[in-house]
Amino acid sequence: MIKVLFFASLREQLDCDALEVAVDGLSTVGDLRQQLAGKGAVWQTALADERLQVALNQQLSSADAVVSDGDEVAFFPPVTGG
Amino acid sequence: MSTADLSPSISIAVQPEGFDPGVEYQQLRSTNHADGATAMFVGNVRDISSASIGHKAAASVLELEHYPGMAESALTAIARAAADRWPLGRVRVIHRYGPLKAGEEIVFVGVTSPHRQAAFDACAYIMDFLKSRAPFWKKERAAGEMEGNWVEARNSDEDALKKW
Repeated sequence: MIKVLFFASLREQLDCDALEVAVDGLSTVGDLRQQLAGKGAVWQTALADERLQVALNQQLSSADAVVSDGDEVAFFPPVTGG
Repeated sequence: MSTADLSPSISIAVQPEGFDPGVEYQQLRSTNHADGATAMFVGNVRDISSASIGHKAAASVLELEHYPGMAESALTAIARAAADRWPLGRVRVIHRYGPLKAGEEIVFVGVTSPHRQAAFDACAYIMDFLKSRAPFWKKERAAGEMEGNWVEARNSDEDALKKW
């Protein structure tokens, strides 16, 4: 399973902070994003946002990063700390 | 004791509690006689309500969300990158999360170095990267209101990285 996390405005938009996804048929972060977008209209709209950032195992990452069982993937809007 | 420790001492904290910049300064200086320069930056919560026309200056609240685990490792990586680039003795970074009131401290960066310019530059570098690479998000709301607005990331923050 892959642990998927959502933060900030994206978390509110989806009304979801975390879920688990089976790794079957997924090879990259981009595949995972596409699968999640299929969960419904809200998911499709939210995950279509090109500004979203993705972290794979807590490292900023890109769509072509390879995912495997036990990974943690987080999606979030551009950060605004400091 | 063996020869001088060449690796900088890096200390990172991600916490809801406040901090005392004076105490942080004392700790950066404590038993540290190799570094003649200390540079520090403190970021405070701005009172947004006083800036909005038509609103009386009721204290506003800033809600800070973070990604536990990644926030600490991102700040550590940024501090290490600064220490690889400049001769630093000590690096201390504190970032708070949770609800913060106008005027409260939100972020602290303190560095020591034998050289003044290195201390200034490393402090600015850490803040610039923190703003665009560390997983924290801000939501502003007026006091007494439940709904808030997420602060949008600014292009100027991303542009600030280009000078490094």
